[in-house]
Amino acid sequence: MQLKDRIARGLESGWKVTDGATLTENRTLEADVVVIGTGAGGGTTAEILAQSGLSVILVEEGRLYYQKDFKMDELSAYASLYQEGMSRVTKDGAIAILQGRCVGGSTTVNWTSSFRTPDATLNYWAERFGLNALAPDAMAPWFDGREQRHNMEPWAVEPNVNNDILRQGCDRLGYSWQVIPRNVKGCWNLGYCGVGCPTNAKQGALLTTVPGALDNDAHLIHGLRADKLVMAQDRIDHLRASAMAADGITPSGVTVTLKARHFVAAASAIGTPGLLLRSNIPDPHDRIGKRSFIHPVNACIAEMPEKVEPFYGAPQSIYSDHFNFSGGVDGPVGYKLEVPPLHPAMSAGVIPGHGDPQINTMARLPWINSVIALLRDGFHPDSPGGTIGLRDDGSPYLDYPVTDYLWDGLRRAFHTMAEIQFAAGAKRVRLMHLDSDWYTTLADAKAAIDELPMERHRVRLFTAHQMGGCGMGANPEESVVNGFGEHHHVSNLSIHDASIFPTSIGANPQLSVYALSARNSARLTNRLKA
Amino acid sequence: MNDQSEVRSTPSGFANLDRRSFLKTGLGGALFLSTASVTAGLSGCGSAPAGRVSAVGTRMDASYEFRFLTTDDIQLFEALLPAIVGPALPEQSQAQRVAIAGTIERIDAGIHNFGPANQKELRRLFDLLNFGLTRVTIARVWSSWPNATTEEANAFLERWRTSGIGLFNNGYIALTKISNVAFYGHEDSWHLSGYPGPPQWAVDTLPQFQSA
Repeated sequence: MQLKDRIARGLESGWKVTDGATLTENRTLEADVVVIGTGAGGGTTAEILAQSGLSVILVEEGRLYYQKDFKMDELSAYASLYQEGMSRVTKDGAIAILQGRCVGGSTTVNWTSSFRTPDATLNYWAERFGLNALAPDAMAPWFDGREQRHNMEPWAVEPNVNNDILRQGCDRLGYSWQVIPRNVKGCWNLGYCGVGCPTNAKQGALLTTVPGALDNDAHLIHGLRADKLVMAQDRIDHLRASAMAADGITPSGVTVTLKARHFVAAASAIGTPGLLLRSNIPDPHDRIGKRSFIHPVNACIAEMPEKVEPFYGAPQSIYSDHFNFSGGVDGPVGYKLEVPPLHPAMSAGVIPGHGDPQINTMARLPWINSVIALLRDGFHPDSPGGTIGLRDDGSPYLDYPVTDYLWDGLRRAFHTMAEIQFAAGAKRVRLMHLDSDWYTTLADAKAAIDELPMERHRVRLFTAHQMGGCGMGANPEESVVNGFGEHHHVSNLSIHDASIFPTSIGANPQLSVYALSARNSARLTNRLKA
Repeated sequence: MNDQSEVRSTPSGFANLDRRSFLKTGLGGALFLSTASVTAGLSGCGSAPAGRVSAVGTRMDASYEFRFLTTDDIQLFEALLPAIVGPALPEQSQAQRVAIAGTIERIDAGIHNFGPANQKELRRLFDLLNFGLTRVTIARVWSSWPNATTEEANAFLERWRTSGIGLFNNGYIALTKISNVAFYGHEDSWHLSGYPGPPQWAVDTLPQFQSA
């Protein structure tokens, strides 16, 4: 066990880390490259550039939290580690958005599932968006490299009961299932990945690439919000950023100006389009913020005869892709099946209700399993995705209409989830829907699923995977960056995050972001060193 | 800069409440809404955070400083919480008051971390519910919140849950979600969901739990 963790040791050894809240006067800093965001994309980029000898400044809006802060407590973690204190929703309020906001970004709070981009997705990108260089064979070495860097391996320990129910149900129905690769080293199998790994087992950006960059003299400024990329002629001259007070929410009034030869935006699929829109980055074909994807998620809960204790154990270890590509890559929407961990606050926020029904359901939590379906959006004309826009105060929002094509998939997914839960022995099943009862037979559940209105707000929807909004493609008329993440119109701007995906991934996206960022950072290094 | 999307947007966010959107949803009494917040402000419905509420005559911890909820909002939640989490509250009345007060403080602390955009939405929602005219026309609650019974609060929540109007469903989710999370998510309530807390052996071993 590491009694002194990587971050504590690094800070002692003299890493260049600045807390924006400690700044008392405006200042200007300069580096070869400014990287905006410290998640899967920004961390990877900063490490690779810094290792090559380039000077790097890393900018993070959230704050630096690490082992000393990770106390397995939901309420404090949701308040400090997630966007908008875990209250982020789509513009109409219908879809809850789970997204990290801290050093390491969402990799600090994700559930460690580590999938390669499916071949079918890469092949579709090649065919539809001219991204032939990202074919599965070409990407394989980059996935290999990142799997090693982040210690990704199929989970070798027995799944917890919550995950085992998905396995049992699939087995009995003849649906395929697999073991999930996880990015952990010496995992204690506790179940608290979503509130910051308390044991330093999770090999997210926080404990790998960010320290790697800092070991190579990169400068991390956290609690600093990137406001605007300021152009001079056809290049970005500097980034204007606002320091946040110690609460992480209120700007302190101190401004930081960051000058660089090159700028890499890695501020997420909501943050990056927002930054580019605020900056009036050239966008002749009006593509910034378009085709935003989210893997819309719906959920079923089941009461099982035996204890599940869905709050303990590796949160995600079993998945099923049986329905993910079964209708063809661009047919009726496919969905991936997984389970979520359920701690009390998460459960109370996900299960809609009040009064007696709510306490009666919450009281059964130790016996509750949940299955979730993640819809693979963006592969069909009737799934054009959402749009990132700006509020009056300049902050970004996601407007995501749920089309009939997606409602059809959500209804099918409800059927599949109920089938699996009953096949695994559920006593009763309830949909996460305002009108759903508990159903004690599969027939009753299926009748209800066919009957209940598939409408926003009534169906409880979630997203933990934000993608697109600055899509890549060969054709500048329908994309923002090329296949290397290089902006089509601004030569010293690259985008290294999930916003460049031209569709959703069809799998939890962290490895897709790591791999593409590594590939594109190697290319960028060569360009800048030439 | 995003005029297009603003105009096209479906008015389900509370910050988008205006006359046009309510005409579109066809609600009786909607015409009053556009002025609700303004009127509420002018008529002295406190829009300032309650700050430190005096312990005398209240159930609040006098050391807690409210940063978002106003005294009206606090009364609103004092009326709603018995309907939202009531069956799970302690039976003894003093313990019940303490549990409600603590939940309201955590709601306030949570909203503080939501940031400006969602705070603006919630401010609209709370003003709507607190201002007498809109409380009656939109929420259809005749008594002021301090005088509303738990049955009236429950009936209001049920109306908004089962309503065919998405805006009200959204309001229902907002009110119940922040309340449920603040209540069930706190250590004092973990026993209600059979959650034993983080494994003790890990707490005993990990450095961040050991006092220096």
